[in-house]
Amino acid sequence: MKADEKNSGRIHPSALRGRGLPSREDSAGVGLSGPDREESSAMSRRSVLKFMAASAVLSTGFLGCTRKPPRKIVSMADQPEYSRPGIPLYYASTWTEGSVPYGIMVKTLDGRPVKVEGLPGFPLNRGATNAAMQASLLGLYDPTRLKGPKKGKASISWEKADAALVEAIRNARSTVLITRSNLGPSERAMVERFCRAAGNARHFVHETVHDGPRRSAWKKIYGPASGKGEGGELTPDLSKARVVVSLDADFLGTDGPFLEAIRHFATTRRPDPKNPDAAPLSRLYAAESDMTVTGSNADHRIPLRPSLILPLVQAIRAALEGRKGELEALAKKEDYDIEVLQALVKDLDSHRGASVVLAGPHLPESVHAAVCLLNHAIKAPGATLRWNPAPPALEVTDPSEIAAALNAGVDNLILLGVNPVHDWPGGGFEKLLARSPFSVGHGLLADETVSTCTISLPSSHNLESWNDAAPWSAFRSLCQPVIAPLHDTRQEAESLLRWTRLLEPEDGSLKECRDWHDFLRSEWKGILANEGDDFIRAWEANLRHGFAGAFYTYPFPEPNRERAEALAGASSARPGGLEAVIKPHHALHDGRFASNGWLHELPDPVSRLVWDNAAAVGPATARELGVEEGDLVTLSSGKRKIMIPVLVQPGVAPRTVVVTLGHGRTRAGRLGSKVGVNTAALLGDGGAGGTAWLLPDVKIARTGRTHRLVRTQTAFSMDDRPIVLHGTTQEFAGNRDFVKDRRHVPEKIQLHDEFDYSEGRKWAMAIDLGACVGCGACITACQAENNIPIVGKDECGLGREMHWMRIDRYHEGDEENPEVLQQPMLCQHCDNAPCENVCPVNATAHSDDGLNDQIYNRCVGTRYCANNCPYKVRRFNFYNYRKEEEGSPTLELAHNPQVTVRMRGVMEKCSFCVQRINEADFRTKRPGRHIPDGTVRPACQQACPAGAIVFGDVNDPKSRVAKLEKSPLAYLVLDELNVKPNVRYLARLRNPHPDLEHRFRKKTGHEDHDGRGEGGHR
Amino acid sequence: MFTKKFERRIHIAAGVVLFSLVLGFAFGAYALWPANLEEGYQPEQPIEFSHATMAGKHQVDCLYCHSCAEKGRFATIPPTSTCMKCHKEIKPKNSKGELLPDMVKLYRYHESGEPILWEKVYDLADFVYFDHSRHVNEGVECMECHGDVEKMDRVQRVHSLKMGWCLECHKEPPPEGSPPWQKTRAPIYCSTCHR
Repeated sequence: MKADEKNSGRIHPSALRGRGLPSREDSAGVGLSGPDREESSAMSRRSVLKFMAASAVLSTGFLGCTRKPPRKIVSMADQPEYSRPGIPLYYASTWTEGSVPYGIMVKTLDGRPVKVEGLPGFPLNRGATNAAMQASLLGLYDPTRLKGPKKGKASISWEKADAALVEAIRNARSTVLITRSNLGPSERAMVERFCRAAGNARHFVHETVHDGPRRSAWKKIYGPASGKGEGGELTPDLSKARVVVSLDADFLGTDGPFLEAIRHFATTRRPDPKNPDAAPLSRLYAAESDMTVTGSNADHRIPLRPSLILPLVQAIRAALEGRKGELEALAKKEDYDIEVLQALVKDLDSHRGASVVLAGPHLPESVHAAVCLLNHAIKAPGATLRWNPAPPALEVTDPSEIAAALNAGVDNLILLGVNPVHDWPGGGFEKLLARSPFSVGHGLLADETVSTCTISLPSSHNLESWNDAAPWSAFRSLCQPVIAPLHDTRQEAESLLRWTRLLEPEDGSLKECRDWHDFLRSEWKGILANEGDDFIRAWEANLRHGFAGAFYTYPFPEPNRERAEALAGASSARPGGLEAVIKPHHALHDGRFASNGWLHELPDPVSRLVWDNAAAVGPATARELGVEEGDLVTLSSGKRKIMIPVLVQPGVAPRTVVVTLGHGRTRAGRLGSKVGVNTAALLGDGGAGGTAWLLPDVKIARTGRTHRLVRTQTAFSMDDRPIVLHGTTQEFAGNRDFVKDRRHVPEKIQLHDEFDYSEGRKWAMAIDLGACVGCGACITACQAENNIPIVGKDECGLGREMHWMRIDRYHEGDEENPEVLQQPMLCQHCDNAPCENVCPVNATAHSDDGLNDQIYNRCVGTRYCANNCPYKVRRFNFYNYRKEEEGSPTLELAHNPQVTVRMRGVMEKCSFCVQRINEADFRTKRPGRHIPDGTVRPACQQACPAGAIVFGDVNDPKSRVAKLEKSPLAYLVLDELNVKPNVRYLARLRNPHPDLEHRFRKKTGHEDHDGRGEGGHR
Repeated sequence: MFTKKFERRIHIAAGVVLFSLVLGFAFGAYALWPANLEEGYQPEQPIEFSHATMAGKHQVDCLYCHSCAEKGRFATIPPTSTCMKCHKEIKPKNSKGELLPDMVKLYRYHESGEPILWEKVYDLADFVYFDHSRHVNEGVECMECHGDVEKMDRVQRVHSLKMGWCLECHKEPPPEGSPPWQKTRAPIYCSTCHR
């Protein structure tokens, strides 16, 4: 009892005094003091805990083993036609959110859209998609969308909002309507009618990203002398071009209909393995200020400042006319690679009618005029350049004109789908907005502009709207809703129609139109007039088909050469000290998609930067300026100034700084607000032969502060390892087996018995590195198909991004102008998968048809598999990345119900879209079933505009993938590990000018292949 | 023999073992008690719809109502309008000539357009992607998994739907005429059902 007395006496003095808590070590003594202590002498604290643990285990056993709660099946009262639970329905429609309309096919399951896919027959994209099209699904379900009309902060009904607006218009002296430039033909008709009804309201078009200078140059050269009309458009047909020269034109990345350009370009980059000389590959020269997707795919690239493009074009023209001295003098003066320029001129000279020169939309009129003349000199028009008499986008109004009109006083300002408060050149639109007493903002979100207006009206999403588009003259595509509006929203054209009807109740023609859908149909009556009398039938056929008409060829108008010469001769912007280029963001465009997390997390195709924008400078310029990556600097042009972090990007031209638009939104939902820097404040006025996007003489000053930039890839060197194999066409012609020779694979050791895959099906993939341009559409397509969560900047910074597919990018050679290689990397579904051997719970195992299956419900999250994967393609759910989705009634709807939604603590990775394989399998009736080649297409293959990804049954000798497997260019990454991957890569072929081929040999030469590449990195 | 301390420990251990045995037995008994088994689950439905009458007595084909069983993943529960295809005309009455109470319910559902909330009898785990069409088109009879529904007044679950039970069939020898590499009746690798 001695001990007990002692124990009971050990009460902490503070506890006796009634304040404070006993310390942790005393608590057991306190709790067990008193008479109980006598019996419990045997019960140490540990045994109590043991009992507690045992009973906890048993009670969880009880709870865990009861039947799960009963669930209900809700049957429909009346099942709509074609709706069958669990069976997807596809709708043809058009993506109208971007500057170029593309055909889409929306997959809906149980009435809700779950995936956006490309419309196979659509001439521009032919079934391919870009990242923004994929991400429009998330935009539809965005929980931060504006859900009903508002006046100030108070909700009002649509009727009241309409009445207020109509009342304001009736009493107003002047009304201004500002829209985007990508209005469809019916929308344009509607806008015209509305403007007439509203007492000659003025219609302005606002965009910060457009090709105004180019269009106006074309208009002056090809248009009527009066300068009237919209003017036509020149688009390249790269499938016919053997030599392409890009002058700061990112035609594979952001400029124009790039999905078509990528497809066309890729078709000219595929060698015929049997006869490589039969159809020579095309050759791409790029002279550019920024390192772009186009530039990284170029055979020869010259980094140069934007102000030097005009002299270069003029020198090339002169050289083609026989005056070579100019070019040499320029090269000497600016330190250009004269050999490359000479090769370029030779190529253009020998490929007249099969070559094209393209200039970026941000370059001034003078460059475009000079390029026009150059293209005529090489006979490009009609051959590699097509004429489209009716461009899809409206002409953009000069911001100064809008500012002047608003400054003059406007009683009514209506803003449809534009966000000038965010992206007004130089900023300060809110002051202009405040000048009009009544303003209406119509938008998807309560963004910077909409929330500042008197009345905020919610717009319906692209997938909830009726619309049409005209990407080509005499070609119309239809956009149909695939779901009823999720919220109390209305599309902008519908609002215009209602306002017009309210303003002009007597207008008989609109009386028949109950809604916008009726108006659209009435517009289409004219288009479908020659399809027979039965309009309904023709309309429905077009609705199913998605579009009407074709891309007809139009004769090229005669250019006005004098005017072109005069334009080209106009004094160009003088080369400044440090020049800045402002470009659209690869995914966010001008910022309209900034509330979309998928697009924020899609790494930049060049820098692999996520969740930020930055001022990109070349390594030498960075040294010159004394800045390092992540340094926060002030970038100023005259009075305009922004603070932005520095990104050191190899390949950016010397004394050039490149920034992208689209970031720095302040009201773009929870995800998109306060991400990056708004660079629109820097946009210039485009005076004196320049453009808004080119700023001469900018100043960079360090602030002393830093900002953390996150790139998903930080090392860009292959360290001489044979990961991306590449060679030149000449090398390939000389030695068909150069890829084999390039690799030395040591004797492989097989540790265990091999499974026989020679019979039955065996799925495999082939990726053509020569075709892949690295745009990243596959990444977002995979994200949409496979319910991959967004993890955010911090997690990305820890290397925890969840993308099942990534694009690795490698630089070789000169730091200032590297040779760029990219490689899509995904689970290789190895036959000897190293991940499978180390899983303690058998959560990853091989299927008989060659897939490396990952079974989420079995996975306990040891992460052994990820550690053992040599390709680093396994992704772990470190947290519950779905907290956001769980709380939102709409975000959950974006999930693909055919794929499990993974929880925290589970490993995941590419499944080769096994849900699509199974679906195809289930729909193939007979056993021993042969799934025809091309039936199963994983999301990445389906989205790829280049057609670089091919999937199929490698045991079927007729399948494309089996044929590609036998290509002399095919190789396996990390083959020497004997993991037997099922993804084959086709080595990339560069097509340098024969005169310059020796340069590439020196770098990747044959001579020294014996000395390295023996998996020396192991 | 043992020190006192050690003896005490043995007692405790024995106590713990005994306690867990008792609990384990209770748990086992609970788990194996017919009412708690997955098999035999027979919940009450909002309408006492009798499969025995429809499928048994009147010989209505399963696919007449469960129309997607051969087309898609779900067999699908028919919409109320499917019932009305027949019951618009056929109005079963009891001996007193009154409309049967469940028919009254059906008409009420039909008129109000309110969906019927059926109790789910066959509830698979969310991570299992079972496809009806694959099985039906492969010649698996509905009864093989759902039992003699045509004899059930109220539907009862006759199989556990556990993975072992699925594999019983999948592991059977392949049917005649199958390609030589097919070793079992149906594939047994994970991604067959899990993805």
